[in-house]
Amino acid sequence: MNEIVNNIQTVPRRSIGQWLFNPFSFVAGYQALFLGLGIMLISALFGFLGNTHFDGVLDVHKGLEAPLWFFLTEGIIDWIALATPLFFFGLIVSTSSLRMIDVLGTQALARWPYLITAIVMLPEANQRVGVYLVAKFGFAAAPAAINYMDIFIFGFAIIVGIFMAIWMVTLMYKAYTVSCNIKGVRAIVTFIVSLIGAEALSKMLILLLFERL
Amino acid sequence: MKLLPTVCPACNSQLKAKSLICAHCNTEIQGEYELPVLTRLLPEDQSFILEFIKSSGSLKEMSRLLRLSYPTVRNRLDEIIERLKKTESPKENNGKENL
Repeated sequence: MNEIVNNIQTVPRRSIGQWLFNPFSFVAGYQALFLGLGIMLISALFGFLGNTHFDGVLDVHKGLEAPLWFFLTEGIIDWIALATPLFFFGLIVSTSSLRMIDVLGTQALARWPYLITAIVMLPEANQRVGVYLVAKFGFAAAPAAINYMDIFIFGFAIIVGIFMAIWMVTLMYKAYTVSCNIKGVRAIVTFIVSLIGAEALSKMLILLLFERL
Repeated sequence: MKLLPTVCPACNSQLKAKSLICAHCNTEIQGEYELPVLTRLLPEDQSFILEFIKSSGSLKEMSRLLRLSYPTVRNRLDEIIERLKKTESPKENNGKENL
C-alpha cells in the first residue's frame, strides 16, 4: 500500500500540522460526524459544569445556570446554523458532487477547539471576574471580591479562548474547502457570508430558546 | 524504466511520437503520431487513475487504500478531470481511440 501512496505523490502527508489545521484530508463523513458530536456532547457537559454558554457560532460567555440539554442544544444550533448555508453555497458554487454528510461531519469536528475553551472556562474565578467587571463598568458595587489569582486565571482563559476561536474558524474554513471542493476568492467570500449569517441566526435561535427556559 | 517525455524541454510544447519500433524484429515505423491523452498527464496523476480503475472506480475504496477522506479523494479526481479537459485538444476529441 505504501508503494501506491508513494506513486501518487500529491497525497497529503500525515504531519502534525496537517492533523492540527486540516484533519479533514484524513477524516470526513460519518467518522467526522460521530467524533464531532461526541466532542460537542463533552463540551456541553463542561459548559454545564462551568455555566459557559456557546451562545452563537463564535460566542463564548459565562452565564446563568441552565439544564444540560440547553447547553447541548446551543452547540447543535451553532453547528447546523453554519453547516446549512455552507452546504447550499457549495451546491451553487462547486462543480463537484457534494455529500451533505461530509459538510455536516467536518463542520461538527471543526468545533473541537471549543472543548478546550469550555475546560479553561471551568474555574469559578472566571465567573467572579466576569461579575466584577460587569459591576465595575455598570458603576455598581462589585458583589464579589477578586484576587490576583482570579485575574490570572481569567486572563489565561481569555487568551486561550481567542486562540481557540481563531483555530476553530481556520478549521471551519478548511472543512468547507475540502468538503465542498471550493478554493480561492469564491471560497473566502461565501465562507465569510455564511459565517456572518450563521452568527446572527444562531444568536436569534438561542435567544428564543433561552426565553422558553 | 525511463519515463516517457511528453513536453519539449526547450519550448515546453507538446511532443509527438515520430518513430515506433518493434522490439522483436526491429521493424521501425516513421510518422507523426499524437501521444495518448493519458500519457500527457503527470506521472502521479497516471498512478491515481490506474489505482482508481483497479478499485473499480470506487472513491470509497480509493479513500480506504490511500487512507484519505472521501472528499479529498473526490477533489483529487476532479482536479485530474480538469487537467484532462485542458490537455485534450479538439482533434483528439474526434479520435477517442487515443485514450
